[in-house]
Amino acid sequence: MTNPITAGRRHFEDLAVGEMINLGHTKVTKTMITTFASQFDPFPFHLDEAAAKASLLGGLASSGWQTGALSLRMLVDSFLGTIASAGGLGFRNLKWKNPVMVDDTIGGNVTIVELRRSESHPQWGIVTLDFDMRNQKGAPVLTMRLANLVETRNPGAQA
Amino acid sequence: MTRWFEDIVLGEEFALGDHEFNQDEIIAFATLYDPQYFHIDPEAAKFSHFGGLVASGWHTVSIGHRLMVDTLFAEEDRLRAEGLEPGVSGPSPGVNAMDFKVPVRPGDTVRYTLVVTDKRASNSIPGWGLLFNTITAINQRDELVYRAELVGFSKRRDYVMPLSLKVMQAISKVPLIGGLLKRGS
Repeated sequence: MTNPITAGRRHFEDLAVGEMINLGHTKVTKTMITTFASQFDPFPFHLDEAAAKASLLGGLASSGWQTGALSLRMLVDSFLGTIASAGGLGFRNLKWKNPVMVDDTIGGNVTIVELRRSESHPQWGIVTLDFDMRNQKGAPVLTMRLANLVETRNPGAQA
Repeated sequence: MTRWFEDIVLGEEFALGDHEFNQDEIIAFATLYDPQYFHIDPEAAKFSHFGGLVASGWHTVSIGHRLMVDTLFAEEDRLRAEGLEPGVSGPSPGVNAMDFKVPVRPGDTVRYTLVVTDKRASNSIPGWGLLFNTITAINQRDELVYRAELVGFSKRRDYVMPLSLKVMQAISKVPLIGGLLKRGS
């Protein structure tokens, strides 16, 4: 059965190892940081300037989960939302390299490092993506390797 | 955990609590961070292999993190009430592995559990230790929603700073010399 939502999008067969996706940029404001932190990560070093200065972070910084979620949002806008994505499988080796401080601008690139068909589910392939997120000074803030399912156009093809 | 690094027992299970996911919060989170059609549009989601709306994996993980923070704060309060000084947890350097298994649908209740599987002194930050934590998220049908291997910082109670480091720290607080030291490093 064809999925009418994804019918016109790029499928697994249309992707290539080495393809690089530019994620653009996002400015991370104090309101964004404290809003996310109050909901999901209410440590004082994500909510309060004075507590943040005294912590290992050295100043008010975003929750690492928010940095990850913002990176994901940029990936959806520039890639996952334009292909026949069928959901995330997870990730490996997520590293928060440097804290994201108030008014930092983060951006980066994602590279397709592996493509393989699912052996058990011929309607899917798995795309593996490497993230390289940096701040406005070019310092790394987040790296990870993420795996996502993509619908195949031709499920009967050789694995 | 809000215990001193030295007091953490490997293999001990901490129940972090549970959370019932409703459709509105699933859509609200995904609209901001993961706006794929099966996370934000209940009608369009019927055409996906999920057959309906499911939560973003990052949403279920963020809720798990919130429950962990709440559990830490509650234990901190409990220790203080007993007249004890709680330990200090710091920011996390990363996540070794995160595997999303079964999707979370509106109305599902997810239960989170943390186990510290290993610990060692930090090489890069004196006075702190590293904890290797596994969090599992299980739904009301006892299916595994996700399994995560996380790394966290925890302060060492028994740490004694070497004299050379103390001298360096004291000197670096003198503005002029501190500036020179920073420039030199």
